[in-house]
Amino acid sequence: MARTLTMIEAITEAMAQEMERDERVFVMGEDIGLSGGVFKATAGLYDKFGEERVLDTPLAEGNIIASAVGASMVGLRPIAEIQFADFITPAMESIVQQASKIRYRSAGGYGCSLTVRICCGGGTGGGLYHSQENASWFVHEPGLKVVMPSTPYDAKGLLLAAIRDPNPVLYFEHKKLYRTAKGDVPEGDYTVPIGKAETRRQGRDMTVVTYGYMTSLCLEAAEQMSKNGVEAEVIDLRTLSPLDRDTVLESVRRTNKCLIVHEDKRTLGIGGEISAIIAEEAFEDLDGPIVRITGPDVPAIPFAPPLEHAWMVNTEKIVAGMQKLAAY
Amino acid sequence: MASKSGRAVAELEVEKGENGRELMVGLYQMLVKCRMCDEKARILFRQGKYAGNFYSGVGQEAAEVGAAYSLREDDWIAPSHRDWTSNIIKGAPLKLCFAQLFGKATSPDRGKSTPAHMGYPPIHTITPASSIAGQLAVGTGVAFGLKRLGRDTVVVSFFGDGATSLGGFHEALNFAGVHRLPIIYVCQNNLWAESVPLRLQTALTNLSDRAKAYGFPGVSVDGNDVMAVYDVATKAIARARSGEGPTFIECKTYRWYGHSEIDPAKYRTKEEVESWKKRDPLVLFEKVLRDKKLLTDELKDKIAKTVTQEINEAVEFAEQSPYPDASELKDHIWAQE
Ligand SMILES: Cc1ncc(C[n+]2csc(CCOP(=O)(O)OP(=O)(O)O)c2C)c(N)n1
Repeated sequence: MARTLTMIEAITEAMAQEMERDERVFVMGEDIGLSGGVFKATAGLYDKFGEERVLDTPLAEGNIIASAVGASMVGLRPIAEIQFADFITPAMESIVQQASKIRYRSAGGYGCSLTVRICCGGGTGGGLYHSQENASWFVHEPGLKVVMPSTPYDAKGLLLAAIRDPNPVLYFEHKKLYRTAKGDVPEGDYTVPIGKAETRRQGRDMTVVTYGYMTSLCLEAAEQMSKNGVEAEVIDLRTLSPLDRDTVLESVRRTNKCLIVHEDKRTLGIGGEISAIIAEEAFEDLDGPIVRITGPDVPAIPFAPPLEHAWMVNTEKIVAGMQKLAAY
Repeated sequence: MASKSGRAVAELEVEKGENGRELMVGLYQMLVKCRMCDEKARILFRQGKYAGNFYSGVGQEAAEVGAAYSLREDDWIAPSHRDWTSNIIKGAPLKLCFAQLFGKATSPDRGKSTPAHMGYPPIHTITPASSIAGQLAVGTGVAFGLKRLGRDTVVVSFFGDGATSLGGFHEALNFAGVHRLPIIYVCQNNLWAESVPLRLQTALTNLSDRAKAYGFPGVSVDGNDVMAVYDVATKAIARARSGEGPTFIECKTYRWYGHSEIDPAKYRTKEEVESWKKRDPLVLFEKVLRDKKLLTDELKDKIAKTVTQEINEAVEFAEQSPYPDASELKDHIWAQE
């Protein structure tokens, strides 16, 4: 049976069910135990599973990830929480030197089945250090999987898939969706496959490639365009690494146009990679330039409201991009 | 200053006579100013006058004031998220401090950084990043630079107990120890890092014991006793100034409110909070001053009135200041050639 849940409820439910099902699963991070997490993602787990399986760690992201890597090497299934994506930097060493490379450097002798839940994203007045959407940093590292759900259904299914995946999976959660994204979520067990995009809206006139919070904005923009007779197809990537090239290419070959929308900064963002794939594989199918609507190349989202507003991608900016592309 | 175990209230070495009076009343005034500004900042947040968040240091004023009061104008402070008031101690105009809360164009960073994360270059307070312990290494680098330049200026670095768990903390202190840098590490151990209690943060009872590992002195002090902190800090500052290197000071203290204004702090017991409120640093010091006949009702009223007026003017200035224009989004990314 499915009920309507918020994204945060779907995330909590996935962890609770998997901890119930699999003794090896445990969660660790800052403020996740007693207090149930800054955004209450782990609410109730401490009471249910106790402090051995719901571990409040010292304030040290590097150690949270490195120790989770070690625990996974002896067969446990850690879910480590990074409170804000901004503070993943002390764990950069553990993620890119340890987690992503342990299988490769041991020729498969060791593996790392680790899930890192990371709260990310702007548009909530969080300022420079509580707003970054930096998933692309990790797409550059083979050996890591990177996912970001846009609906509660996907949030639960992708998280269950991540926990069961024998690889390190970085699972990004956009804080703006936690309580605003609501939808049907099955009570029981199911997974959403990692590496598969989902077409959220069919359309013949252009392909819009996006993910996470931006998906809802793109759908809104597509509805607006539809009133003027332009039908945009909206693809929600769901997984940034490995990228579902087939779904993107198949769509672009049909619509002959592509708009890429992401919140992260532009230069070397995932939009750059997707553009290159399309240019390499579907150049002759294009009727216009690939258009990117992204965050600007500014160090971080500033605090003052007019500055934050100027930073963020919004529906108007996406519509403008669609209009530019439709004109070709 | 050897590492002491347990609570070590340093012996007062206040100058006698007029100087002593000046110092003690000065410290009191600063405590009052920090308390009143901090409480005002909380009220303004609750009234929805600014967004973001605020990390109140109410209850911890004695640690902050005691540690930074005797700094010279050319000395530096590397503050963290709970140290907005360190700008006030160092002499930042209140108007700028409140403009910072509001994210206005008149704030030192023109609305770029968040309310509590304030620095002001003219008085050498470093604009902090929110990443915990980040300011420790940067402050240590400033101390390294100052030493290289042959200056006798010092750096005071503020942080919480949680910060001592991060790798960056250990790396910074190790470097400072190796080069005998002019820096004073002031840990405000308020027993909680957000919701995580000290026992899950460290196996130590006294965080000052850590200093041993880096080869310089550490001392634990009653962080609610402003004179005790002042005494330990001024000695450490003198030590650093004369080239003898760093000191680690652990101030045992407590924050009265939640981690931030959006945290109801349900993880603590009422009894714990109440017992610390009974040791209000302001009330404790007021009693000392009254016993020494240095504080009268009249003087107390006068101080409160003056600060209130200054705060009102600052808030008005902040409220009336404009937000930065959206066109400033890309300013200050690169140096202008
Ligand atoms: C590297 C990093 N990780 C996590 C956070 C989120 N966070 C902000 S303050 C805080 C607790 C800090 O505790 P402590 O250092 O004791 O200082 P206090 O807040 O008690 O003054 C945490 C976990 C952060 N800002 N930076």
